[in-house]
Amino acid sequence: MSAVVTATPLVTVRRANRHRVQRGLAGLLTYLGLALALVFFLGPFFWIVTTSLKGNEDFFAYPPVWVPSEPSLAHYGRLFTHSSGARYFTNSLVISSLSMLAALVVSLPTAYSIARWRFGGGFLSTVLLVLRMLPAIALIIPVYLMYKLLGLTNNYLGLVALYTVVYIPFAVWLLVGFLRDFPVEIEEAALIDGCSRLRALIRVVIPIIAPGLAVVALFAFIATWNEFLFAIVLTGIETKTMMVLVTSFTSGGTDTFYGEASASVVLGVLPAFAVAFFLQRYLVKGLALGGTKG
Amino acid sequence: MRVSALALKRKQWEPFAFASPSLLLISLVIVFPLGYSFYLSLRNFDLSVGPDHEFVGLRNYSEALLQDGRFLGSVWNTAVIIAPALIAELLLGLGIALLLSRVSRGRPVVTALLAIPAMVSPVMAAMAWRMMFGVKFGAINNLGRQLGIIDVYFDWFATPALSILSVVLVEVWHNTPFMMLVLLAGLQSIPQELYQAAKADGATAWQTFWFITLPLLKFTMAVGVMIRMIDLTKLFGLIFILTFGGPGGATETLAFNTYLVGFKDFRMSYAAALSYVIVLAVLALTLVFMWISRHREARTA
Repeated sequence: MSAVVTATPLVTVRRANRHRVQRGLAGLLTYLGLALALVFFLGPFFWIVTTSLKGNEDFFAYPPVWVPSEPSLAHYGRLFTHSSGARYFTNSLVISSLSMLAALVVSLPTAYSIARWRFGGGFLSTVLLVLRMLPAIALIIPVYLMYKLLGLTNNYLGLVALYTVVYIPFAVWLLVGFLRDFPVEIEEAALIDGCSRLRALIRVVIPIIAPGLAVVALFAFIATWNEFLFAIVLTGIETKTMMVLVTSFTSGGTDTFYGEASASVVLGVLPAFAVAFFLQRYLVKGLALGGTKG
Repeated sequence: MRVSALALKRKQWEPFAFASPSLLLISLVIVFPLGYSFYLSLRNFDLSVGPDHEFVGLRNYSEALLQDGRFLGSVWNTAVIIAPALIAELLLGLGIALLLSRVSRGRPVVTALLAIPAMVSPVMAAMAWRMMFGVKFGAINNLGRQLGIIDVYFDWFATPALSILSVVLVEVWHNTPFMMLVLLAGLQSIPQELYQAAKADGATAWQTFWFITLPLLKFTMAVGVMIRMIDLTKLFGLIFILTFGGPGGATETLAFNTYLVGFKDFRMSYAAALSYVIVLAVLALTLVFMWISRHREARTA
């Protein structure tokens, strides 16, 4: 874009005018294309939100009502009371928050070891990448059998432990990046003043790379929130997450349960909206090896 | 170098001590279960039969690869979903990234908005679209009727071909934003001087795209495609909600078929063997991915 604007070779006024028209047209088409993309990619969200606010008369109306005439939160109320939505929303929140914190606490020292001492060399980073790509389906079969034996199915601890560990490779990989950007001089000063390694990490490094930690934490939260396979196999009636809850709305064809189903989808995608804006700069990095995928 | 000055002060055990919590947990929760799963894959453990099982060698693997039509079908189904989805995601992602790179005002906001589908869980994406595909009250049929494109209740999952198309559509909606982000980053790393030089030489927009943008974006595209391919090999949540493998198993993917074998038929050993086949496929793709990224690093260095 800037190339088009700044490069002004010797051209006649007439050519310049023609260029301006062309550029105006190209600009118009650019905005038109982006507008179409926005409609396609955000349209479903708009429809889900409006559907979740519709009353029954708007549902069955023909011609269809796109914007609810009398928006109401009745479906959310019913989801919370009738389908235990409040419980499962809380489950998702608690499980994701705990896994996020645990993954961070365990991964930071490892990332530090790799970033500062090149611990494990190329071998360890290859292993971490391979583990990151590992299909969840390969893990769930043995883990299900082991958890059954240990009584860890339908148990918060079991799910949190699994999420935490599965998330370590990615968290370490991102944190190594942030730690490598960290100015070693500051840390050296602390060490010379007699700080231990661990104290330096906690007192000096963590406060400075806090934004980086927040990025990793948010990605971990979203990944855990979105995870589905482990959740559907390992959770029971008390420990279901939001992802498992929505499966209960799929019975009976595509036309049933619109109210509660749409309300649960709105709640299920909320964190994604928040995070997309906070993490805008890091989206590529995070999504590339991140695993917001279930 | 700074790091080596620090290294003087290090104690021998410290690097290992710092790394050990992660390594311990990974061995316990990932490596050990994987080993156990491999052991299981060589036996005939079937929960629907009983708790006893014995060693059967590679029989599970030979059954999967030589006799199991359902498994081989799931390989085919996965490929049939992956190919069009990847092509569409690449072309659409490239198109949008090019449009975004032309815009200077408001780009961060538009990019963040367009990125949202990629942050959403496959389950939620599938549920939203499942409702939109709804025969009577779905947004798509309603819109189609209002525009006069369709006049009957249209079932988007009526035939195998249509179901695959619907799954691909949702997958494209879900993950094109990822491709767009990767390609946008790639576009922004192309030096502006090249474009200025091309302009001074009187190159047309098409020539600039074909001889500068595309060659310099090649590796980024390869990386994006590889990451998506690895993820698509594990496609599960989308299928679970949208079609549950139907109609007639036409959308049963590798991971979904394995899930059914394990948690509907309870043939644990056989499911473990199937999951190892998926692991090998993903491992092969990961190696290709690593080779491509090394290649790129060598080129840019």
